[in-house]
Amino acid sequence: MISSTVLIHPTTWFLMGAVLLPLLNKREKLKKTVLVGIPLIAFTLIHWLPDSFGQVSYLGFDLVFGRVDQLTRVFLHVFTIMAIIGCIYGLHVKETGQHIAAFLYVGGSLGVTLCGDYLTLFIFWELMAFASTFLVWYRKKRRSIEAGFRYLLVHTAGGLVLLAGIFLRYKNVHDLSFVQIATNGATFADYLIMIGFMLNAAVPPIHAWLPDAYPEASVTGAVFMCAFTTKTAVYVLARGFPGFEALAILGAIMTVYGVGYAAIENDARRILAYHIVSQVGYMVCGIGIGTAMAINGAISHAYAHIIYKALLFMGAGAVLEMTGISKLNELGGLYRRMPLAMIFTVIGGISISGFPFTSGFVSKSMIIAAAGESHRIGLLLMMTLAAVGTFLSVGIKLPYFIWFGKDSGVKAKDAPWNMNLAMGIAAFLCFFIGIYPEYLYKMLPFPVNYHPYTAYHLAETMQLLGFTGLGFFIMVKKLKPKPKMNLDLDWFYRKGARVFMRFASRPVLSSDSWINDVYRSIGLRLTMALAKAISWFDWEGIDWTIDGSARGVVEGGNRLRSLMTGKIQHYIGGALALTFIILILVMLV
Amino acid sequence: MLLRILNYLNEHSLMLKRIFFVFLALFVVFDFSAARHAPHFFGDSIIGFWSLFGLIGCLGLIIVFKGLSHVWLEKKEDYYDK
Repeated sequence: MISSTVLIHPTTWFLMGAVLLPLLNKREKLKKTVLVGIPLIAFTLIHWLPDSFGQVSYLGFDLVFGRVDQLTRVFLHVFTIMAIIGCIYGLHVKETGQHIAAFLYVGGSLGVTLCGDYLTLFIFWELMAFASTFLVWYRKKRRSIEAGFRYLLVHTAGGLVLLAGIFLRYKNVHDLSFVQIATNGATFADYLIMIGFMLNAAVPPIHAWLPDAYPEASVTGAVFMCAFTTKTAVYVLARGFPGFEALAILGAIMTVYGVGYAAIENDARRILAYHIVSQVGYMVCGIGIGTAMAINGAISHAYAHIIYKALLFMGAGAVLEMTGISKLNELGGLYRRMPLAMIFTVIGGISISGFPFTSGFVSKSMIIAAAGESHRIGLLLMMTLAAVGTFLSVGIKLPYFIWFGKDSGVKAKDAPWNMNLAMGIAAFLCFFIGIYPEYLYKMLPFPVNYHPYTAYHLAETMQLLGFTGLGFFIMVKKLKPKPKMNLDLDWFYRKGARVFMRFASRPVLSSDSWINDVYRSIGLRLTMALAKAISWFDWEGIDWTIDGSARGVVEGGNRLRSLMTGKIQHYIGGALALTFIILILVMLV
Repeated sequence: MLLRILNYLNEHSLMLKRIFFVFLALFVVFDFSAARHAPHFFGDSIIGFWSLFGLIGCLGLIIVFKGLSHVWLEKKEDYYDK
């Protein structure tokens, strides 16, 4: 009975895959089958999940590993599709460790989505943070090692805030079940939990880990990371905190903040990372507005966003993989050499901008319309402004400076077939959802009474996008990418930490040197006296009687040691000189 | 095939520019005929409002954030390495 319950949990399959993969190191074909097979199994499984399973009583806590409703199903659906796409994209990667990290990461994300109590949530939450750090480290550059450590530290801090909230909540209500929290009854504990969630959703001011770490991650790692961490956070926020005003306002700020930075950044993947902040802002704002339509919009946007953002990361990743470059100022004119990647990335770009017949058009507009229907004009205008900025930076700027513009002469060819296949699937889904939105709307938790394809919405979108394009070409000289970076709030823990250390080190140093003084004046003298006594006994007593020749050996060794300088060129020079002397001797004698 | 189309378009950028402007005009004209069900606020009932919003928003974003970057945020790439 238990075994069948365990096997029905999709996370189990990913964990089994993670254990299995290192055993298949030598057998490429089987490894690739497992890599694609396990996400496929998970994708099939989620259609057969019972409403509730895997309840375990442990140490007096009721753990729920499987709680399935409409909200869960939609996220499971897109997460498993994304796992399939990501695994296909990474098929060519030889390092098994990267695949294992990705499997653990996806497994953790599915575990969070399915769990019904805070303890289980926390365990899978930390598994995600831990596994995804390796996806950063596998880039194997010094910068990514450092960024990975910062990523891990920030997420550990966020996890601790979450854990504190969970403990306090348990103390207050003696219940760990993960359910919706009423806006008027929220306590300090609930806000701590919300902050823990918000850190993973990259809500400013605790967002800087995202544009810090994602651009430094490995090519395939970034594709996984852009899909799971923030969207799992969107799921838990939608589950626990719909209707919280703070989320609505911070979400709207996020949308503009993200596109603003995207407009000034130079690294292609950092631009996309800032765009995650912006796009997740729409979802956070929708959850904060909290009406049925807004929640629907947030969830459908999460669904659409995972696909097109992954597509964009795959496109930028393909360029990085083939050229080794991700900085816009070093790229340009690549359309002649990587036409397929260009087409896929442009499809991702128009989807994120919300062109008609793409997925962004049917999902983003639902949140904006929901803001309008709740008479939140400020939020509506901020989100529309962010939509303008989105098209500006990812719809036009990114493709323009990578594929068009001035030809950089960078050598490249199209990416391997598996990368193109993964991008093709994602590109197809972008159009499929845009043309056939009922596919997505049917999965949403609330009945949908929204029609994206009205004449007015079309007119509004085309005007916005068209005139944004005009604005870009007016200002194209100003937007020329420069090899610079921009400060963000990670300054506080990257530079500020050093100031803190300098400040903190003074009292530490002074107390340390005081202890040193005490030790030197009292302890050291005692030790020295003791050591002298022992060494005298050793020298005169033991050594003399047991082996008097030892002293002779030591003296000889010392003389030899003074000849050895430890520099390799001296030894080589010495050897040459010796050879020379021998040669002369042989010739003369 | 694909490359030939792209190269052709690249060589005829003036033509593309003209087509783009024709489309911009068409979008605004189309706005006259679009029925407005339940406008959310005053902007929804002004014809061409979103054209203006798009253009000014785009220019505004560039000016504000490029300006911020220029006077404050922009640092050398090895800023954190030192």
